[in-house]
Amino acid sequence: MKKKVNNTICRCEEISEQEIRDAIRKFNLRTVDAVKRLTRAGMGLCQGRTCTPLLTKIIAEETDKKVDELLPLSKRPPVRPVKVEFLAREGEQKLD
Amino acid sequence: MIKRADVVVVGGGVIGCSVAYYLAKKGVRVIVVEKKEGLSLGASGANQGGCPLQLFKSPVLELARESLKLYKNLAEEIECDIEYENVGSLVCSVDEKQYPDMKKHFQDKRREGINVRLIEGHQLRKLEPTLGEDIIVGVEEWDSYMVNPFKVNYGFAYAARKLGTEFLFSSQVKKIERDKERIASVITDREKIKTNFLVNAAGAWASEIGKMLGLTIPVRARRGQIMVTEPVPLNKRWRYILDADYLTTAFDLAAVEDSKEARIKLGVAGSYIQEKSGNWTIGSSRDFAGYNNRVTMQTLKYMAKRAIKFVPKLKDISCIRTFAGLRPFCYGDGLPILSKIKSPQNFVIATGHAGEGMTLAPITGKLIAELITESGTSLSIDAFSFSRFKNIN
Repeated sequence: MKKKVNNTICRCEEISEQEIRDAIRKFNLRTVDAVKRLTRAGMGLCQGRTCTPLLTKIIAEETDKKVDELLPLSKRPPVRPVKVEFLAREGEQKLD
Repeated sequence: MIKRADVVVVGGGVIGCSVAYYLAKKGVRVIVVEKKEGLSLGASGANQGGCPLQLFKSPVLELARESLKLYKNLAEEIECDIEYENVGSLVCSVDEKQYPDMKKHFQDKRREGINVRLIEGHQLRKLEPTLGEDIIVGVEEWDSYMVNPFKVNYGFAYAARKLGTEFLFSSQVKKIERDKERIASVITDREKIKTNFLVNAAGAWASEIGKMLGLTIPVRARRGQIMVTEPVPLNKRWRYILDADYLTTAFDLAAVEDSKEARIKLGVAGSYIQEKSGNWTIGSSRDFAGYNNRVTMQTLKYMAKRAIKFVPKLKDISCIRTFAGLRPFCYGDGLPILSKIKSPQNFVIATGHAGEGMTLAPITGKLIAELITESGTSLSIDAFSFSRFKNIN
């Protein structure tokens, strides 16, 4: 049996390297998006800004691929967190 | 390369994977063909995971009831924690004019045997202080559930794979070969698969598969936009709150198209769900924009405005992510299509679930597996037959 690895990969959602490797193996995951969706890694406040490179590297290792062969994480707006109230007012006031 | 299957399922969404699982359980050799690089990349991956009972009317209500029963033991069955959780639901109104409609909704649901309760606005706020002052009345029930949609989709695939199902990714159906009244094989851009049955679970893209056989499948992509907030402490009582407008915008296409109100025209009627993690998902909108699955600022604005009316504290919470999905909406009558057809005889359609695919996935998989392997189905699916569209085919 392989040694358990407990490094925290996603700090926002507190997801460990082991959880990520387990999910990749169990669900046969091949993309950063899929890993994000199954583990929540990259779903937190920073939206994967910190953990995406680490995630990519783990997936590459698990799937015997090169990092640049993997699809990049899809970007979803907003770029940084914005208050719901701000979205409600969009267009009624200047953005600056 | 030539492959062989008993059944080819087109589509790696929750419907396709559920169909594959229930077939594989019966010993059927299934190949799932998915044009994208992974599962859950259409409507199944862009929804809130709510399975609400009080929103359904017969004949879909019967399906929903059975589906929720199947969900009960699903996690154990497929060996995947799908985060199935009883959260109940609260449909509420901020419009005095809707009061009689709410009362009628309450009476209708009661007649259908759903354990609903009508609660006046001031009482609602006592039970759940986070609800807005504008809410005049609500209808609650406790037979609604919530699931993690990704886990359901991938869980079905995991269990199906263990039973021998093969998944082909980045593999798009290009042609369907016929031998008289039957489909003989499916040709993708990568392989040829000889098969005894073909299941069209392509969701919003189902009509494209139909076209290859000269059929008009009256399903169109209906875009739904959703925003996700940062996690905050959990609501005391209700974590699944719906705008009464949902009852019309989701199910009554004419009401949306005939409306003079810009918000209704975009199909914006809130469904506010707080996940166990504390994040709120704010949904949803409904418009037809071809295969465009981007969010728009205008729609998000209406959604955010409306959300604040129902749950005012949302205004100070940050939105961290937005996305949109394309739901397979049957413009014929808004109902799913779960059906074999006359010709080709071995073509099965399982789509048109619109915003209810997650709720209806287990029962759909079970019934379609029965339709293929048995002489009849355990629940009548006559109301979902493709023959109801004979005027267009």
